[in-house]
Amino acid sequence: MAGASTFLGGASGRLLAPSIVFRFFASAVLLHLLAWLALFLAAPSLPDFAGGLGWTLAALHLVTLGVLLMTTVGASLQLLPVATRQSVPSARWPYELIWILYTLGTLAACTGMALAAPTLLAAGALPAAAALLLYLFLLARNLRGAKGMGLVVLHGWAAGLSLLVLLGSGLALALGYSGHALLERQTAIGLHVTFAGYGFMGLLVMGFSYILVPMFALSDNPEPRWSNLSLGLALAALALAALVLTGMLPMSFFGAAIATGGLAFAIHVVLMEQSLRSGMRQGLGSSFVLVRIGWACLAASLMLALALEQELGIRHGAVLFGVLLIGGLLTLLLGMLSRIVPFLAAMHAGAGMRRPPTPSRMTVQRALDVHLYSHTLALALLLAGVFLENNWLLRAATAVGTLGATAYAHFFVNAWWRMARLLPKKGAPGSAKST
Amino acid sequence: MVPTPRRAGEQWLESDGIHVEVRGLAPPAPFVAIIKLLESLTVAVPVIVHHDREPVPLYAELAERGWLAERMTGEPGEVRLRLVKDS
Repeated sequence: MAGASTFLGGASGRLLAPSIVFRFFASAVLLHLLAWLALFLAAPSLPDFAGGLGWTLAALHLVTLGVLLMTTVGASLQLLPVATRQSVPSARWPYELIWILYTLGTLAACTGMALAAPTLLAAGALPAAAALLLYLFLLARNLRGAKGMGLVVLHGWAAGLSLLVLLGSGLALALGYSGHALLERQTAIGLHVTFAGYGFMGLLVMGFSYILVPMFALSDNPEPRWSNLSLGLALAALALAALVLTGMLPMSFFGAAIATGGLAFAIHVVLMEQSLRSGMRQGLGSSFVLVRIGWACLAASLMLALALEQELGIRHGAVLFGVLLIGGLLTLLLGMLSRIVPFLAAMHAGAGMRRPPTPSRMTVQRALDVHLYSHTLALALLLAGVFLENNWLLRAATAVGTLGATAYAHFFVNAWWRMARLLPKKGAPGSAKST
Repeated sequence: MVPTPRRAGEQWLESDGIHVEVRGLAPPAPFVAIIKLLESLTVAVPVIVHHDREPVPLYAELAERGWLAERMTGEPGEVRLRLVKDS
């Protein structure tokens, strides 16, 4: 008989080297901090933001490209093979190439946005897009060979298609700043926001939640007919939105697209809430407070989108919508990540040990608590600051947000450090393969 | 001897402990079924898990709850684990 975690050697076909996944998370944690600092510089102009190069656009993309996509790419590269019983390629280079191209591309593109330098922006956007295409290839390969998990696989395919739309529209926008318009600007922005926020990010988060939430809460899987209905409605909403945005359906259908998307999301949240309430593990701590705040913000973003579509004349409505959508996704993702990171760290660190470390041993709860309060306050101040056009509130929001991001970085670095200390040394006698 | 076919999720008692069949359950149902079983035990008897894959995420959760997993020889294509309370 073998000790518990020595089995990870047998499962290593589905596990990436810990350094691969953690470097994606590390980049996201660093860019999260930079995003709040960029927003500090952008604060005075935030309420009136209507697109265009500058610090606001840079802050926005430090969150979307730098945190949301970076985390999602890193997490899905690891979680999907485990869920779908797929082997990951033994070679490290595709992952390292994705990480290097994507991190450098994102940094260059965001710097180009901040400094209003279209050439630098395009020079960053191209390697970032290449990295995402390579990621898409790995994602598609995994989904194609998946054994079971039909619901997650369907979410994955739809997210992959959304990624193509967001890449195409994003490149069109980036090149548009250099005078090479591939798509009409408003069309490109509409497609980009819809398929980045609700398409790629929304669908992947929903798909993974069907595994992660019952796993964390220790509850039964949601009723497939309801989760299938939610996915069907989400796909219908995205298809409707795409047809309207490309001029194939009249604008009056856009409201129907938003309402359909809202219904899909409402069903998803109800299923997740049922899972949380019926689970054996109650009180999932600060992580699921953040997840719930994220859900609330995303639901509010859809309601606000509907109000804007009805031309209800909401003060700074478009910017508030952006804060709710991006802030909601960020909050949800940071909540999920605060449970995934200690779990992965314990899983890898335990390789070769009879008594593996526990996830709680990898968690600095105080740092997560500081992050919870700071992040929530920052988000509230940001919304109030935009609505009231109050520069002091906006500055305070970014200061508190920076504090929260620092606390989150402390939590992450600590988990990584503890894992690294426990990882078996390569070539050590009797060491299990840590990957 | 031909093993008795079991339903996914079925539990039964044998001389070496409580057995649970989780093959055929969609993730995370095997994980949840195993932890629910451990939580329901009033006496820490060994639990034998019949799985169709290496339950990668399970080990950290077991450690959190003070249980250890040991590999056993199973049928072809089966991952069989013996879970014991860490004393």
